[in-house]
Amino acid sequence: MQEALLAVTDLSYSYRERQAVRAASLQCRRGAILGLLGGFTGTMTFAGAAFRPAGDAAMRSRLGLVPQELALYDDLTARENLAFFARFQGLDAAATATAVARGLELAGLVDRQNDRVKTFSGGMKRRLNLAIGDLHGHELLLLDEPSVGVDPQSRNHLFESLRTLRSAGRTLIYTSHQMDEVQRLCDRVAVMHEGRVVASGTTAELAARAGTPDANLEQVFLSLTGRSLRDEA
Amino acid sequence: MNLFSASVCIAQKDLRLFFRDRTGMMLGLLLPIALVTVFGMIMKFAFGGSSGMPKVAVWVVDADGSDASAKFVRGLRELGMLSVLPRAGEPAIDAAMARALVLDGEAHHAILVGKGYGEALAAGKEPPITVVRDPGRAMEARLVGIGLMQATMAAAEGKSMPWLLASMMRRQGMSEAGAERVQASMLLVQNVIDRFVAGDAELKDAAATPANGFDMASIFEDMVPVVREDVQPPARPKNLNHQLAQSVAGMTVMMLMFGLMACSVTLLQERDQGTLRRLLVSGAPRASLLFGKFLFCIAVGLLQLAIMFVYGELVFGVGTFRDPLTLVVLAVTWAAAATAFGMLIAVWAGTPKQAEGLSTMLILVMAALGGCWFPIQVADLPWWADVVTHATLTHWAMTGFQGMFWHQKGVLDPTMVRAIAVQWGFVAVATMLAWRVWRRRFTAG
Repeated sequence: MQEALLAVTDLSYSYRERQAVRAASLQCRRGAILGLLGGFTGTMTFAGAAFRPAGDAAMRSRLGLVPQELALYDDLTARENLAFFARFQGLDAAATATAVARGLELAGLVDRQNDRVKTFSGGMKRRLNLAIGDLHGHELLLLDEPSVGVDPQSRNHLFESLRTLRSAGRTLIYTSHQMDEVQRLCDRVAVMHEGRVVASGTTAELAARAGTPDANLEQVFLSLTGRSLRDEA
Repeated sequence: MNLFSASVCIAQKDLRLFFRDRTGMMLGLLLPIALVTVFGMIMKFAFGGSSGMPKVAVWVVDADGSDASAKFVRGLRELGMLSVLPRAGEPAIDAAMARALVLDGEAHHAILVGKGYGEALAAGKEPPITVVRDPGRAMEARLVGIGLMQATMAAAEGKSMPWLLASMMRRQGMSEAGAERVQASMLLVQNVIDRFVAGDAELKDAAATPANGFDMASIFEDMVPVVREDVQPPARPKNLNHQLAQSVAGMTVMMLMFGLMACSVTLLQERDQGTLRRLLVSGAPRASLLFGKFLFCIAVGLLQLAIMFVYGELVFGVGTFRDPLTLVVLAVTWAAAATAFGMLIAVWAGTPKQAEGLSTMLILVMAALGGCWFPIQVADLPWWADVVTHATLTHWAMTGFQGMFWHQKGVLDPTMVRAIAVQWGFVAVATMLAWRVWRRRFTAG
């Protein structure tokens, strides 16, 4: 078994007087994609909190983020966006050039690199959003609903890119409300409910645990977390 | 990445975005120029060149149409303090129209020259003149009064003093007999003056000739013998008046605050568009975001000031570049102070709309109290208003810029040192507060 990049035991975390994570324990292997289900507060906060104990820049430098928002500058070109974030993350000129070239490849935007982002389609922006998150080659990449609102081709490109990153030994934590995506992409899945990790494993393991071996991930999720409305942010 | 490099990186990115939005940039840079132009022109023309005297617009209706009334109107036109309407070549108005103009607020004063003006003046009697006025315009009324006296003396060719004094004494309650004695006595004086004006050698002192010749119209101004001593910096441009310097400095100070507020709000935009979170997890020092914005705003502020000063110099000749060191110190100081103000408002406000609303209110209030719109420094304010005025950031900026433009003071002058020190003190306090709020509101969690 591969070593665990992220190992969390009994983690609790409050944010703005709200208990976002409650005594959660989780492991994530290096070079795997971990699907984390349960809304942003319960998932990304959990992942962020896992890196928080040290809380310093050195720890943050191991963490890449692909936020749900298109965290891009619309009036900069794709190349300028990549170059700015690369430089801001501390890459020197040579490393920036390399990272920008790799990012453009990853996003499939080599031909449009000098176009302003505001002229891009939603899918192109999503791909660039992912490429910026990966600029530094962080060990762990947090992806928050990276495929929201994209066309099937762009979604497919995104998934291929994520698999490429996994093949390169990168560890990804992937959150989404699209259960089929998670089932299709992730090696393991952790289900969070009310700040707790209520189950984790492969889809098959979770289905078995829920007592519905033939169920898909959405049915398993509903079985584990109940059918009442979830109003978490 | 260290704090400085990361801050420079942020500033470079924001400058690139600033220059890329060309329409926004042009508006940001041209709007202040437009305002300086409008206010500068108003001040330059309304206050009559370098004299610093305001010009009061007065409508004149000449119902007499005599040579004397025409001379009277011409006398009014030649006064620097009045702008007489209608101008030459424009259609005349009648008394009813003049009253309507004053009533509607289109004019503040109208002078109605009645029929018989010329005859009355020739006979040494009170000529029929009516001044239609808005009673709320007391300051202008005094100027109109002075103008009336001077124009009347010009129309009467220096022979108006006897009846003027007699008339004045009647209004003070003197009996008709007393007023006639005053007029008779003054006629004797008038005769002596007439002989003097005519060049009677017996009355002339060859050694004492007035520089501008005999001027009956302004004789009352010189009635009290005083020695006039002009005290002003030798390097002050000749065509600069106080209102113009006030206008250029005031609009520059105020518009920089608006401009840099817009730049500071980019911090909130980073949050709203999601880039803030990405930057915060980047591993770069978190303070670099705030200080990068600070550098960006100062750079834009200096650019805006440079454009404004070059424009002010080229168009109005305010003497901007007489003392480059003082100019640079004041510009950097005000850019930093306005940036600190903008950053504090930006981090304190919850949204760009809140920041814009709050800053607009504060900037306008500070601009008014600090003397950006009119020279409040010379106003006789109650003590509490004086304290409030001194508490505004704009007051100290105006003290600095007016010190440089008008008083031609250098950076080491105690007044300037104090103004600069107060602004840097604000920069320190506001930046510290902004940093604390920034950490609490933007980087927590």
